[in-house]
Amino acid sequence: MSLMRYCRDKDILTTRSATAILSGFIPFVLLITSGCDLSGNQADSNTTTIYGAYTAKVRGLDPGDIGDTTSTIVASQMIECLYQYHYLKRPYELIPCLAESMPSVSSDGLTYTIKIKKGVYFADDACFENGKGRELATDDFVFAWKRIADIKYLSKNWWIFDNRIVGLDEFREYTKTCKKAADVDYTRNIEGLQTPDKYTLVIKLKKPWPQIIYLLAHLPTAPMAKEAVEYYSKDIINHPVGTGPYKLKRWYRGSFIEMVKNPSFRDKYYPAEGEASDSEQGFLSDAGKKLPLNDRVILVLVQETPPLWFLFMQGKIDVSGIPKDNFAEAIDLSGGLTLAMKDRNIRLLTFRDPSTYWVGFNMEDEVLSKNLPLRKAISCAVDRDKYIELFTNNRSEPAYGIIPPLMKTYNPDIKKISGISYNPQKAIKLVKEAEKIHGSKLPKLTLSMPGTDAVLRQYGDFFKQCFSQVGLEIEIDYTDWPTFQNKIKTKSVQLFSLGWIGDYPDTENFLQLFYSKNKSPGPNNFNYSNSEFDRLYEQVCVMADSAERDALYRKAEEMMVKDCPAVFLGHGVAYILVHDWLYNTKPHAFAYGLSQYRRVDTAKRASYDKLLRKLK
Amino acid sequence: MNKTKEKITVTKGRSYWTDSMRQLRRRRLAMCSLAVIVLYLVIVLFIYVAQWTSFDVTFLDWGQKVGEGYEAPSKNAIFGTDFLGRSVFRKTLYGAKISITVAFWASVISLAIGVPLGAAAGYFRGFIDDIVVWLYTTLSSIPYILLILAFALVLRGKTLNLEWLGLGRVELSGIATVYLAIGLTSWVGICRLIRGEVMKHKERDYILAAQSYGCSSSRIIFRHLIPNVFHLIIISFSLRFVGFIQAEVILSFLGLGEKNSPSWGAMIDAARLDLPKGYWWEMTAATVAIFLISLALNIFGDALRDSLDPKLKVQ
Repeated sequence: MSLMRYCRDKDILTTRSATAILSGFIPFVLLITSGCDLSGNQADSNTTTIYGAYTAKVRGLDPGDIGDTTSTIVASQMIECLYQYHYLKRPYELIPCLAESMPSVSSDGLTYTIKIKKGVYFADDACFENGKGRELATDDFVFAWKRIADIKYLSKNWWIFDNRIVGLDEFREYTKTCKKAADVDYTRNIEGLQTPDKYTLVIKLKKPWPQIIYLLAHLPTAPMAKEAVEYYSKDIINHPVGTGPYKLKRWYRGSFIEMVKNPSFRDKYYPAEGEASDSEQGFLSDAGKKLPLNDRVILVLVQETPPLWFLFMQGKIDVSGIPKDNFAEAIDLSGGLTLAMKDRNIRLLTFRDPSTYWVGFNMEDEVLSKNLPLRKAISCAVDRDKYIELFTNNRSEPAYGIIPPLMKTYNPDIKKISGISYNPQKAIKLVKEAEKIHGSKLPKLTLSMPGTDAVLRQYGDFFKQCFSQVGLEIEIDYTDWPTFQNKIKTKSVQLFSLGWIGDYPDTENFLQLFYSKNKSPGPNNFNYSNSEFDRLYEQVCVMADSAERDALYRKAEEMMVKDCPAVFLGHGVAYILVHDWLYNTKPHAFAYGLSQYRRVDTAKRASYDKLLRKLK
Repeated sequence: MNKTKEKITVTKGRSYWTDSMRQLRRRRLAMCSLAVIVLYLVIVLFIYVAQWTSFDVTFLDWGQKVGEGYEAPSKNAIFGTDFLGRSVFRKTLYGAKISITVAFWASVISLAIGVPLGAAAGYFRGFIDDIVVWLYTTLSSIPYILLILAFALVLRGKTLNLEWLGLGRVELSGIATVYLAIGLTSWVGICRLIRGEVMKHKERDYILAAQSYGCSSSRIIFRHLIPNVFHLIIISFSLRFVGFIQAEVILSFLGLGEKNSPSWGAMIDAARLDLPKGYWWEMTAATVAIFLISLALNIFGDALRDSLDPKLKVQ
């Protein structure tokens, strides 16, 4: 999945990186949209429906085993976590969702006490007695987390808790001794997960872990009703049972998903504060209104971008990314909307992605590892602006470091510090220097690409041209994703093309990619090792949020970029088009559970057909 | 006695091949097609020779930037440029090398498998025939493209041990994977054809004579039978060549072909992304190149069949 991926689970991690590279420059992701007219589905004229489109199949809606972005976004409309991101405030801020308040943390940073809201009910479901949802209790969190630890369950989300909570790893070891899944005793006490009463959860950590707060806003840590697991068993992936604003009504795999308002949803209101400009932009017009602001959400699967674009232009879909091929149709040379879009009253939203893309160096490779001038030469040979123009329609910012501009720790001077810029003459000089270090003519380098499709072949051709103009020979190795993944894990790549989309707004999530203990098969695919960086990383990643921590994060990044372990290429910028009948569409980099805030003007939507006829 | 000298006109006999070639030469369209085919072959040979001799020929340097990205056809770049400003014309020429090489080796491989197997099955019959028929029936029951894809995927990245031939270990990648995949999956047609023809010839007098002389089976097959069905092999070669070029295009389009140099399939695949933006020239160049060679091969193949097949011979 693209958002929320951490450092432990190697498979998940690399999958995540793939998502970054494969979807990063085509920010055509699932958007909760409206307008796709599934005629006959409208309950009545007073029902407001949010229609959506998603481009990848939903694999399952069991939060404990959820691992892809699409499934997470869909499930997050129905399932909630302890915490959530504030919809309007920037920089991104966590606020309580199922929790009553932010956690109370002990002075040593090891014990988290969390009170949950009273009167929160699971949505009515056949798994409960009389089909009536029961009240949420802290035991539901403990059950959900034990389930993730249970080896028999084979959750892909164990990385979240691995070596974190006192007693949970032992519970996992115990489950390995059980012969069958049914033999696992979920009543076993775990020292680090205590529930002194129905509404209090005490988490004891093995070592300080300030990032836990972000993980508690991540869908796999959502509570799970034991009744649902027992009732649906393996079919639970098709029956999400949560406390969220919607509940699942119908799901036709490969077609559409319909969610309706959860009648037992607690009183939750649209935020009354946000950024200074929010009021002016109308994002506070619905402040204080009870959520959700609509009755139904329908998400349609449209896997190809041409029909999705067609649906959007026909007003059947309210919100859409801009496919690469339709960019010129939507955006003019000045970066604004074209007349055709303006005539349709379409609005343009842009926002920065928490993402970075690069061509990485394997720092254990014989040729590259001891040759800093060679790495710098390669970095100076790549024309980032051209790359961004060719492959992203200028929907990226050039990158010279790992931390994206979205993060508060972003260093605007990183380009100067790294000493890297597109400069073929400098690159040629550096290549000569590199040849002296190497002792002979540099051998042909190999750049591995994570796929074989036409777009990646174009990437490959581009890099080939950049390299050849400074006298470097390069062969592009196009491999399918599993082969690529295997090569990365076994450190058998030389140069490789990848990217990373931040899981949460903490710089640690980016810097962990360079921590030596995370070397391949871990997330440090560069196999970068710098003891000074490691020391700094270990110090900073357990610190609470502070100005001092931010300064240390910047210092760590500076240290890393000077060693040039990658050609940093770009940071993504998302472009989204919205029809004028959809309100409260403030872009969000961690866009989970946002349907509840959207409001639809059905009259405006109905008049769109007339507008189209008029335009013809 | 009046001796009158009787003048005897001796007409020199023409061999089967001479006769056939004479007929073929009379067909103008076939000759034009042959010229097109020869032109393609000359280009390919020239590219190979230039590569082997490290001869620097500008118009073959497809990686060179000749203008801005996506330049429409002009004097500077007659087929326009691609997204990186490389000449589409040069890429098209270079693409011929990949396609023709693949088609040639795939044909050789498929004939090398299909002809001996078909001849053995037709000549020996019995158990050998059963095995061969079972093998090709099984193979032909799998959809062709799926079979090629499966072979291409399995062969990709594999290493071929040719140490016993003194060639060491050969890594299968790009073009080698493609022609192996195509060749290994497309011998069924020719095998079936040769089998039937050999069965027919086996009963003829010249074979009985060879058998009476005590010729060995291998001698009969390779010295008597195969030369007599060789016209079928030639016809099949020319007609299947087109199919192999198209198979290479499909494999390259699906990302299983040659990736580090341009091929027509890869050009079409890349142009697929450009077409909606109005950049039609790369797609056009590749499809026209394929169209011309396919048309020429088809016309020439048909003419060849008409000339070589005794049943279809037209005086």
